[in-house]
Amino acid sequence: MSAVPAAGWRNRVRSALDDALWGPETGARLAFVHAGLSALIGVRIVAGSYRQLADTPAALVDPVPVLGFLDRMPAAEAFVALQVVGGVAALAAVLRRRPRLAFAVAWVCYLVLAGLRGSRGKVLHNDLLLLWASAPFLLAPAVIDRRDRQARRRYGWPIRVSIVVIALIYFFAGYHKLRRSGPSWAYGDNMRYVALWGPSIGSSGWKDLAQWTGEQIWVSRSGGVFILGIELAFPLVVFVPRLRAWFAVGVVFLHASTWFLLGLDYWAWAVTVPLVLVDWPAVAQRARRRWVSGEAAEAPGDEAAAAAAAG
Amino acid sequence: MTAGEGGPVAEADPDRAPRGARILVAVLMVMLLVPGVVGFDVWPLTGWRLFSLSRDADQTRWVLEAVDDRGERRVVSLEELPLRFRHAEWPMAELPGASPARRDAVCLALLDPVVAAHPSTIELSLSRDHARLVEVDGEWTTEHDVEPFHSCGREGGEGGG
Repeated sequence: MSAVPAAGWRNRVRSALDDALWGPETGARLAFVHAGLSALIGVRIVAGSYRQLADTPAALVDPVPVLGFLDRMPAAEAFVALQVVGGVAALAAVLRRRPRLAFAVAWVCYLVLAGLRGSRGKVLHNDLLLLWASAPFLLAPAVIDRRDRQARRRYGWPIRVSIVVIALIYFFAGYHKLRRSGPSWAYGDNMRYVALWGPSIGSSGWKDLAQWTGEQIWVSRSGGVFILGIELAFPLVVFVPRLRAWFAVGVVFLHASTWFLLGLDYWAWAVTVPLVLVDWPAVAQRARRRWVSGEAAEAPGDEAAAAAAAG
Repeated sequence: MTAGEGGPVAEADPDRAPRGARILVAVLMVMLLVPGVVGFDVWPLTGWRLFSLSRDADQTRWVLEAVDDRGERRVVSLEELPLRFRHAEWPMAELPGASPARRDAVCLALLDPVVAAHPSTIELSLSRDHARLVEVDGEWTTEHDVEPFHSCGREGGEGGG
């Protein structure tokens, strides 16, 4: 192998990684994702069942490391205060009132509330994907020109980094299945037993479906292959943008079926992933164009205008 | 780069991520990659080991057994208790290596909500349920073998186990 092709290969890898983390996006997309994540954090803060944890006996409290200074759950008033401050801050971030500060306040309130919920002995992941995927937005540009159609690097990096974070999270979930259980996690009887035990793991949203899935061995095995496959293949979304919408659909299906089978609340994951992976302003723009061109084509005797609009 | 009076002067490229962003991303990547690859949990750092252990027909879980004044025992689902007690299985799972005082503390913490849900309860037993899924004539049923581990009564910690 000569030095020139090796250098070319290295340059291509460096360029791909640089583009993955620091590539350009439009201001409209950045503003949309920022507002969407802020809204999602706000909903999780305001709608979450937190204050019910206030009277948890100290013997059942095991603070997560980031809250290790606590020896018991705070009072209900503290939970409510965190929810009010976090909710107002999230709303301010959605409305772009001092967006960087508002987003940071909402994110920290959410981190503390999710940490308190997880301070009962079990490592909870329900809120972690949203927390991690939105962390790059803590330093996202405060001033965004939404009408600027030009994709720019200063707008792109929070979204690109968030996509990399999401891809790594799903990849690690698959990697640890392989590491701890091997490939038979997917094609063995594992998923059959996950489905049959399902109602005892959580509060299954559809017990008959869980039972049926467990009894149909090929359905449960297909489910296992689908889950492990999507998790291990997730890094593809970083380098192949046209796959992102498909992975977003797959993730929604995965978490919806997890809720039906096991009753586990991963809706924050199911909303965060499509929000970040799909360029919704571009989708809306394409839909508008199609709608306008379709409307023009339907207008009698105005085919030329339709052709021009489609143009 | 632009040439100023005193020679070439570096200017920040307006269309690139600022230095602070690059530092934040580097820190985030380290905090995500190290626990992710190694597989440990220091919340919010995590190894993302979601459902990574294969399930089979056998499963051992910690359960609450309420004993009433007639000596009858019944398993009380954590789902019957208020939200703050729903994850009590994890503190219970750490009791085999814990001190008697710690076992009593966990048991007594769960006694009150169990009594509130089932007022005839006079004793609470923290037990291990060795459950097995069995298929009989095409129907799946669960066999239970409940092994009491530690108990406490309404008057206070009359612990055993």
